Amino acid sequence: MNRLLTTTAVALALTAGAAQAQVTLTLWTESASAPEGVFAREFSEIDNGITIDVREIRFDDLVADTLRAFATRTNPDLIAIDNPDHAAFSSRGAFLDITDMVAASDVIDADAIFEGPRSSLSWDGRMFGLPRASNTIALYYNKDLFRAAGLDPDSPPATWDEFLAAARALADPANDVYGVAFSARASEEGTFQFLPWAQMAGGSFDNINAEGVADALTLWKTLLDEGLASPDTLTRGQWDSTGTFNGGNAAMAISGPWELGRMAADAQFDWGVTLLPVKEEGGPRASALGDFNLAIFANTQHPEEAFAFLEYYQSQVERVWPEFTRLPSVAGVALAPTGNERIDAAAAVFAEQLESARNRGPHPEWPRISRAIQTGFQSVLTGAAEPQAALDAARDEIDRILN
Amino acid sequence: MTRLIRSLRDGIGFDTLLIILALFYLFVFAGLPLIYNVIISFQRVDVFSLGTLWHPNVGFENYERVFNDPLARRVLINTLIFTIGSVALQFTLGFAAALFFHQRFPGATWFRGLFLAGWIMPGLVVGVLWNWLLSGDFGVINHVLKSMGWIDSAIFWRSDTAWSLYAVMMANVWYGMPFNMILLSVGLAAIPDDLYEAAELDGANAWQRFWTITLPMMRSTIGAVLALGVIFTLQQFDLFAAITQGGPAGSSTVAQYWSWELSFREFDFGRGAVISVMMIVVVLFVSLIYVRSTRAETRL
Repeated sequence: MNRLLTTTAVALALTAGAAQAQVTLTLWTESASAPEGVFAREFSEIDNGITIDVREIRFDDLVADTLRAFATRTNPDLIAIDNPDHAAFSSRGAFLDITDMVAASDVIDADAIFEGPRSSLSWDGRMFGLPRASNTIALYYNKDLFRAAGLDPDSPPATWDEFLAAARALADPANDVYGVAFSARASEEGTFQFLPWAQMAGGSFDNINAEGVADALTLWKTLLDEGLASPDTLTRGQWDSTGTFNGGNAAMAISGPWELGRMAADAQFDWGVTLLPVKEEGGPRASALGDFNLAIFANTQHPEEAFAFLEYYQSQVERVWPEFTRLPSVAGVALAPTGNERIDAAAAVFAEQLESARNRGPHPEWPRISRAIQTGFQSVLTGAAEPQAALDAARDEIDRILN
Repeated sequence: MTRLIRSLRDGIGFDTLLIILALFYLFVFAGLPLIYNVIISFQRVDVFSLGTLWHPNVGFENYERVFNDPLARRVLINTLIFTIGSVALQFTLGFAAALFFHQRFPGATWFRGLFLAGWIMPGLVVGVLWNWLLSGDFGVINHVLKSMGWIDSAIFWRSDTAWSLYAVMMANVWYGMPFNMILLSVGLAAIPDDLYEAAELDGANAWQRFWTITLPMMRSTIGAVLALGVIFTLQQFDLFAAITQGGPAGSSTVAQYWSWELSFREFDFGRGAVISVMMIVVVLFVSLIYVRSTRAETRL
C-alpha cells in the first residue's frame, strides 16, 4: 500500500514537473529560413519542454519594431540582430549579460569566437550574445563575359586600377550589360559596401575623411558617371543589384556569400569570386564584417531556456556553411563541401576575405554614424558635393556623435 | 430623476450624451496623442526612454536642430511641390474623368467603378508596382517611352535627383485620382438637370454652362475634395517607402517621410515630433477650409 502511494506521488510529481517545464519562447528574426529559424524549429521538436515561436520581421523594420516592442516591454525572449545594431541594445542593458553562463557552458567556448564578431557583441568587456555567423563582401565576376571581352578569367582584377579598367572593358550598353553591380543606397547596406573601400584607402568610420578616402569615392563616382554601373545603384539594395548580375546584365558584382545559393541556381554562365581589389598592389586589404548576432533580452522570464537554445545553436554551427552558405564565426570549423564546385571555390575566397573584415562600430549610436556616411557618399554620387568636402562634413557629424 | 431619464430617452439629454461620447472618444484617441506629440517635441526622447511618460526638457533645441538641418530647406520645398502638384493633378484629372463619366453612354457607371480598383489597393502594393514600372534599366515606362521614340536613353526615375520626387508624385496622382473622381461624381449627380435645361433654352453653350452652373453648384464639393486631397497627400508615406526611400541624397524627402526617418531610423523622437507638430498646424488650417465648405453644403 505504502509503495503504491509512493509510486502515485512520484508519477504525480513527474506530471506536474513536466507541465511546469513547458516553456514557450519567442524569437524575432529577419528570415525564418535563416539558420536560427531552422534550428529553432528543430530545437522545439526536441523533447525538452521548450518551444520557440519564430516571428519573421522584414530586415528594414527589425530594429525599429524591436525598439518599439522593447519600449513597451512586449519584446521577444530572443532576437537575431544585425551586428552593428547590437551595441545600442547591450550598452543600455536591454540584452542579457551571458558572460558567466558562457563560462560555465561546455558547448560554447568564448575564446574560439573570432575577434571581430566577438567585439560586436561585447560591451565593457562583457558578452551579450552569440554570433549567428559571419559574412563579408567580395567581388563576383562573370567568367564568360571576361572571355568575351578578352580578359583572363583566371586573373580577375586585383587593384582598383585593374578593376576600373575591367569595368570599362566589360560594359556593353548595346547589350544592356553594366561593368559592375553594387549598392550605394542610403541605408546600412550602402555603408556596408562603402566602408571597405574607405578602409583600403586608409580611412575608418571615425576617420572617414582620411587622405585617400576621396579616391575611393572618386572611383565610385567614376563608375556611375561613365555608366559602368546602373544609376539605380543609388536606390537598390545588394540583393536586387546582384540579381542583375545573375541575369547577365552586369559583368561583376560586389556582394556576400548569402548570394551563393541563388546564384548557383539562377546564373546561366560560368562565374567565380575573388577578393575585393586593393588600392595599390600590396596595399592593405579590408572588407565589411556582416551578419547577425543572437541575443537574449534581459527581461526574459526564462533565461536558462533561452541560453539552452544558444547552446543548441552552437552545437549545430558546422552546418552553417554547407546548408546556409554563411561563414561560422568560431575557429576550428572546417567549411564542409557543398557538392557545388563553384560554391566550394567561393568558400576559400570568402574565408580569406573574412580575415580582413572589419567591424562597424561597435557604437550605441551606430545608425546615426552610418547615416552621416551615407549622406557623404550619396551627396557626391549625385553631384551635389565634391568628395573631400562631403567627407569633411561627414567627419564633423561623426565627431559630434562620438563626443 | 424621471425627468432626467425621460430627457435621456428622448430629448436634449440624449443629444448631449451622444456628443459627450463622441467628444470623449476624440479626446482620448486624437486629442491626447496630439497634445503628447507637442510635449515631446520639447523633450529629448530616445528609444530607451520612450517607455517612460516624462523625458528631460530641452526647450526649443529640437526645433533649432530641425530648422538648421541642411536638409530642412530641401524638405520644405519638396513637400510644397509634392502636395500642390499631387492635389492639382489629382483634382484636374479626377474632375475630367468625373465629367466624362457623367455623360450618359453605355457602361459609363461600370467604367467609373473599375477606376476605383486602383484606389482600394494598399499603398505599399501600389508602391511596389510603381517601383517596377519606374525601374531605370528594365522599367515598363522607359520601355514604352523608348519604343515611342520620345526618349533616347533611359530615365532613371528613382535614382536621378531631378526626377525622384516626380516619380513618386506620378504614382501618387494615379493612386489618388479615383477618389477625387468619385467624390466629384457625387457632386455632379446632385446638380438638378432642369438647371441645365433652362440654361440651354436661354442659349448657353457647354462652356458657359460649366462655368455658370457646374462650378458654382460644386463649390462646396470642390472645397471638400481639395481639403481632403491635401490631407491625404500629407499623409502619403507608403509610396515614398516603396519607391525612393526619400533618396537619392534626400532629393525626394518630404516632411512626413523625414519625420518618420528621424523617429524610426535615427531614433530621435523629439525631432520627429517637431515635424509632426508643424504638419498638424498645416492640417488644422486645411481642416478649417474643409469644415467651412461642408458647412455650406448643409446649408444648401
